[in-house]
Amino acid sequence: MGRQRMCDPTLLHDAILTGDHKTAIAVTKEAIAAQIDAMELVSRYMVPAMDEVGRRFECEEFFVPELLLSARAMKGALELLRPLLAAAGAASAGRVVIGTVKGDLHDIGKNIVGAMLEGGGFEVIDLGADVAPETFVDAVRQHRPQLVCLSALLTVTMPAMKETIEALDRAGVRQSVKVLVGGAPVSAEFARKIGADGSGENAAVAVALARRVLAP
Amino acid sequence: MAAVNRRAPDRVPIDFGSTSVTGIHASCVAALRDQLGLERRPVKVHEPCQMLGLIEEDLKQALGLDVDGLFRRNTKFGFPVGGWKPWRTHQGLEVLVPGGFNTTTEPNGDTLIYPEGDLSAPASGRMPAIGYFFDAIIRQEPIDEEKLNPEDNMEEFQPISEDEIAWLTNAAEEAASSGRAVTGSFGGTSFGDIALVPATFLKHPKGIRDITEWYMSTSSRREYIHTVFSRQCEIALGNLARIHAALGHLVDIVYICGTDFGTQTGTFCSVATFRDLWFPYYRRVNDWIHAHTPWKTFKHSCGSVDRFIPSFIEAGFDILNPVQCSAANMDAEHLKAAYGEQVTFWGGGVDTQKVLPFGTPAEVRKQVIERCRTFSRGGGYVFNTIHNVQAETPTQNIVAMIEAVREFNGATAHV
Repeated sequence: MGRQRMCDPTLLHDAILTGDHKTAIAVTKEAIAAQIDAMELVSRYMVPAMDEVGRRFECEEFFVPELLLSARAMKGALELLRPLLAAAGAASAGRVVIGTVKGDLHDIGKNIVGAMLEGGGFEVIDLGADVAPETFVDAVRQHRPQLVCLSALLTVTMPAMKETIEALDRAGVRQSVKVLVGGAPVSAEFARKIGADGSGENAAVAVALARRVLAP
Repeated sequence: MAAVNRRAPDRVPIDFGSTSVTGIHASCVAALRDQLGLERRPVKVHEPCQMLGLIEEDLKQALGLDVDGLFRRNTKFGFPVGGWKPWRTHQGLEVLVPGGFNTTTEPNGDTLIYPEGDLSAPASGRMPAIGYFFDAIIRQEPIDEEKLNPEDNMEEFQPISEDEIAWLTNAAEEAASSGRAVTGSFGGTSFGDIALVPATFLKHPKGIRDITEWYMSTSSRREYIHTVFSRQCEIALGNLARIHAALGHLVDIVYICGTDFGTQTGTFCSVATFRDLWFPYYRRVNDWIHAHTPWKTFKHSCGSVDRFIPSFIEAGFDILNPVQCSAANMDAEHLKAAYGEQVTFWGGGVDTQKVLPFGTPAEVRKQVIERCRTFSRGGGYVFNTIHNVQAETPTQNIVAMIEAVREFNGATAHV
């Protein structure tokens, strides 16, 4: 009988932290082959790695390129684990519907926030960019998330955030979700004014903010 | 030019439209022309990516502008400016667009635009159905790490043709005859400008063209980027020498680079990364210009770049734009006190994220006067908004802004 190679899941933590996509995939495959529990991989190695990425971003050891590299490594590993997590009925930290609002095609900030939330243990349903208010409403009805995250880069599309919140309201689903808004021109004052539940000034604070607004 | 040379001028000079980052959206140009009672005619969209409106001579005079712009012949979609034809914007405004501005409409109402106007090539820009300008369509071939070749990211950096130099010379002569200062945007010196990386002007771009991939590459493929920048720099210096020989005497300021290093709250990279990856090339370009020409060099970077400004200055930049005072650590008083002796501020006049589009005329006036007072102390200031005036900006706010600069300058005449 051939000896199975030992799998060291701390290497997954390190690969995500250093943004090494190839190693993250390889270690995850080894871990799956070694039947290491998927939920344990996520909670003990991946979430702490992305928390550390966020911490380093906050204290400016990491910048946008490093955030993107780590997010890509994390997503690569998560894709492999997702069927196992689903089969095990693993509970996420919460379900999030995220998208860039109508008229706005900018998605890098939204993608980073989505990845940070995934890395924080949330289930993320990404609707993409240029998303109409009614599409958000449909997604809330279909996926029953706890959180809706709206992104905009442009001043001309900021009003679409307000329209989206109003559409959620009209559809009678506003009270079932918390709404967070983000993007370069968005301020806490603007978030309050349009009836959002919060705003984050960068992707790194998104996870903490999401956990805070969803805390019972 | 006294202001640019950081001597106190008799008044604060004003720029609108001399570069692709100091312009006005075509819809606002149209509304402004109406408001000022100028001849009713369709606005020419001379920068189709951001849908910037050409500010023609009558409007320049009405606004009291002090700078003219000189641009390369081709737009960011690779077709030449000129051969104007009518086009209706998604908001129903009739404008004129260059002849190569060929578009198709998607089933959802989005407009697609094509490189070199070639409808048989993959579209390179998309304007959402309710949008005001085009965003790049990312056309990224799958990346094979082993086969990545920096040459693939250099297709756009070529020696300028004699034909285009002749064309530029004609345009420069016309601009210089206005008596205003002239800013030349000659291209080729924007190192890694994320607006140019997707190469909307190329039919089939190769190399690293995806924006996310490019950002990651500045960390994970640094040697590749160095090779691209190094070769780009060689070609750019050759072009600048030839351009200078032909029309250098007609130009005062050169737009060098629009790469953004700041975000709303921080920076895209560390100062150390900036000094490793960008600084050497900026230094070479600025050193060449200062050794061979009287030109002043213009650096655009959005966002919170306070900690980069000493490096911009050390790299030889004379002018900083757009001076995003609305970003973190970019307070106007701080910037003027810290760097006002060493760099000219070009912009910063009013916030285009909040005050100009959403404030009242009184709020606009207040901020404009405060900023003029702060930045113009001792010279070294050219008035412009923080980046282009965006679509849907209320015309009365634009008028309030111009009147406030005039008020500051001591003029009594209204716009």
